[in-house]
Amino acid sequence: MFFSRLVTRWKGLALTLLAAIATVWLGVTGQLGLYINPRYYVFTLIMAGIAFVLTIGALLVIPGPGEDDEHDHEHAGFNGPDGRRPNARDVAGAGRRRPLLAFGGSLTAVVIVAAAAVALLVVPPSSLTSAAVEQRSLNGSSNTLANAGPPPGTSDDTSAYSVKDWAALIRQGASADDLSGRTATLTGFVTPDADDPDNVFYVARFVVTCCAVDAQPVGVPVYSPGWSSSYPTDSWVTVTGAFEPNPSVLSAATTVVRPDSLTAVDQPAEPYVY
Amino acid sequence: MLLLVAIRLLAPAEWTSWMTDPAKDFVTLSVSVIIESLPFVILGILLSAIVQIWLPAGFLLRRLPRNPVLRRSLISLLGVLLPVCECGNVPLTRGLIVSGLSVADSMAFLFAAPIINPITIVTTYQAFGWTDGILISRIVGGLLIANLVGFIYSAHPAPQTLLTRGFQAACAVDPHAEHGTRTRRTLISFGRESAAMMPALIVGAGVAGLIQVAVSRNLLITLGSNPLWSVLALMALAFIVAICSNVDAFFILSFGSTFLPGGIVAFLIFGPMIDIKMLALMRTTFTVRTLVQVSVLIAVCAAAIGLAVNLVF
Repeated sequence: MFFSRLVTRWKGLALTLLAAIATVWLGVTGQLGLYINPRYYVFTLIMAGIAFVLTIGALLVIPGPGEDDEHDHEHAGFNGPDGRRPNARDVAGAGRRRPLLAFGGSLTAVVIVAAAAVALLVVPPSSLTSAAVEQRSLNGSSNTLANAGPPPGTSDDTSAYSVKDWAALIRQGASADDLSGRTATLTGFVTPDADDPDNVFYVARFVVTCCAVDAQPVGVPVYSPGWSSSYPTDSWVTVTGAFEPNPSVLSAATTVVRPDSLTAVDQPAEPYVY
Repeated sequence: MLLLVAIRLLAPAEWTSWMTDPAKDFVTLSVSVIIESLPFVILGILLSAIVQIWLPAGFLLRRLPRNPVLRRSLISLLGVLLPVCECGNVPLTRGLIVSGLSVADSMAFLFAAPIINPITIVTTYQAFGWTDGILISRIVGGLLIANLVGFIYSAHPAPQTLLTRGFQAACAVDPHAEHGTRTRRTLISFGRESAAMMPALIVGAGVAGLIQVAVSRNLLITLGSNPLWSVLALMALAFIVAICSNVDAFFILSFGSTFLPGGIVAFLIFGPMIDIKMLALMRTTFTVRTLVQVSVLIAVCAAAIGLAVNLVF
C-alpha cells in the first residue's frame, strides 16, 4: 500500500515536472520550434514556468506517503481499466480497491511516468521525417494556398521565395512557362518522388500551424538523376537552379528545378515553416 | 530527473539511430501533443482551483436560473468568457462538478466551451469569414449539441453513476470544508488534479502519435470532396488528429478547396468535443459507458449538421 500511495500522490507532479522541464529546456536551447508554432512560445513557456512553481509548492505541502490525510480516499479509478458501473451504495467506499488492483494501477502509472521521462527528456528532440511525408501527401494541402498570389512577373523579386512559396505557385498551376527564367534557391530536406524516385526528389519542408501534429509537407520537385547516391533521404540540401518542364515521364510533377548547384547543408535551427 | 538529463547530455547524439523513422515520428508527434496541451491543462487546473477554492461556496450556482433549460443554455455560453480550449475544460468541468453543478449541466459546459471560447471564434472567423455559413453553423451547432447532451443526461435517474468511482469519491468531499490556507489547498488540489489529468494526457498523446504514424491521411483526404463521405472522413480526421480547438480552423483551412463546407463544419464541431486525446482526458471523470454513449450521440448530431450544411450551401 505504501508503494501505491507513493505513486498516487506523486505521479501527477512527476509528470508535470517532466513536461515543464522539457518545455523550458527546449525553449532555452531554441528547439521549441520542433514541436510548436512560434506564436505559442511565450504562452507555453509562461505556463510551464507556472507549472514548475506550482509543482514545487505542491511537493512541499503534500503529505508524505506514510502520513494520513483527508484525500486518501481519492486514489483510485483514474487510470484503471475499471469499467464497472458503481452504484450509489458504494460511493462511500469508492477507491478502496483490492491491493492487487491498486498495485497494478500503480505499476501502470510508473510505466507512464518512465515512458514520458524517456520521450520528453532522454530522446533528443528531432524533426519529423520522410515517413511522415508519405503519410500526409506532399503538397496535398498548402497553407499558402489561400494567399499565394498570381505567378510573379519578370520584374518581381523572387529571390526571397521559400520552398513554401514556390510549392504554392506550382500547386496553383504555374507551369514551367510561367516560371521560366526564374532561379530558385531552396533549402529543405530530401524526400523521394513517389513515382520516379530514381530521377526526381523533392526539397521539402513541413508547414506547422499549431504543433507538429498538424504538420503538412510542402515541396518543390528537383530533377537530378542518381541523386540518392549523394543525398540520403531526410538529409538537408540547398538547391539553386531554374524551373523547367519535367523531363521525367514517370513523375507526376510537371515543373521541376534543374539544379545548377546542389549542396548538403546542416538542418536549420527552425526546420519547419509557419 | 538529473540522472535523465545526464543521460541525454552524455549519450552520443546518434544513439537513437537504431530507431526507424516512424518510431522517431511517433515520439516527435506524441511529445508535440504534450508540449502543446500542457499549458492549457495547467490553465484549466488553475481555473478549476479558482472555482473550487477562491470563489465563495455556491458563487456560480446561486446565480444560475432555476429553469433547467435556461440554466443549461447559460452554462453552455459560459465558455465565451474562458479562453481555454478543450483540454483545459476537462479539469475545469471537474471543478464545477465538485462545486456542486449537476453532471448534465457540466456536460453542457464541457462540450460547448471549446467551440464558443473567444479564441476559437476569432480563429474560425479569420480562417473562414462568413463563407458558406461555416462559422455560424459551428457555433450554433456546437451549442445545440451541448444543450441536447445536457438535456438527455438531465433525465438520467442516477447521474452519479455516470462518473468514475474515483471521481465520485472526490466529489463527496466538500472543498470548502477542507482545512488549511487557501494557498495550501490550491497546491494540494493542483497535485490531485495533475495526478488525474497528466497520466491521461500522456496516454492520449501516445495514442494520438501512434495513430498518426499508423493511419495514412491520404485516404481520408481523398474522400473529402464527396457530400456524404466528406462529413464522415473529416470527422474521422478530427478524431485522430486531436488538434486544439483554438487552431483547428487554420488546420482544416489548409486543405481549403479540397473539402465541402459540410465536412469542414462536422470537423469543427466534432473535433473539439470528441477526439482521442479528449477521450483519454474525459476518462478521468466519466465511465467508459458514458463516454461511448456521448461519443455516438455527438457523432450522429455532428454528421447530421454537416450533411445539412452540404445540402444547403
